[in-house]
Amino acid sequence: MKTWSETNMKVQGIIIAGLSLIRLLLSLFALWLTLGWKVRKTRRAFEKQLIRQGMAKKDAKKLSAQYSKMKNEIMDSLKGSLFKNI
Amino acid sequence: MSEEKEKRKEKEEKEDVEELREVLSVVSKEVPSLIKSIIGSVFSEEAGRDMGKAAAAFYKELKDAGMPEETAVKMTENYISVFTSLGDILKGVGKEGKVIISTKEGEEIGKEISEEVSRKIKEKLAEKRREEKEEDEE
Repeated sequence: MKTWSETNMKVQGIIIAGLSLIRLLLSLFALWLTLGWKVRKTRRAFEKQLIRQGMAKKDAKKLSAQYSKMKNEIMDSLKGSLFKNI
Repeated sequence: MSEEKEKRKEKEEKEDVEELREVLSVVSKEVPSLIKSIIGSVFSEEAGRDMGKAAAAFYKELKDAGMPEETAVKMTENYISVFTSLGDILKGVGKEGKVIISTKEGEEIGKEISEEVSRKIKEKLAEKRREEKEEDEE
């Protein structure tokens, strides 16, 4: 039969693991929220430089779309590795 | 005696829980900050400006050399895609069982493997010859 302290330890371990997981997921969620905003800023700065050198706005937007594509790829690979490990 | 054993077991379990707490706290702190720094180095106003400057200089050179607009844009797109293929790198790293080894290290490992293989082959051949000799003698 398991003693009270053994059960207590196990419960403590589960609580610690749960709290750490929640903390990790919250941090990743915050990261995901700020990522979209960061990508927009990066794209705008990138387009500005291209337009300054005489590129058409439409083409500059097309080129800066690479950043959004890259963001999606990173998010996909992060999600994939996260769900694979949980 | 059994009380002592129980106490020791309890102590070990306590240590395990402490260890688990430490590991999890480090993981939950370090992993997000690591991802944040990787993302920050690619997705920031400064990084975008620098990348834009490089791409714009490339585009301008092509235009100045007399390249048609469409081709220049296409080539600039290809030029950028080389730098923005971080997703592919991450995909490669995320694949199970895949290990990235530097060229030098790879060469050393290859050398070791070929040496080991040739040694084993020589051993086997010597063994075979010995067996054949023994059979001839019989």
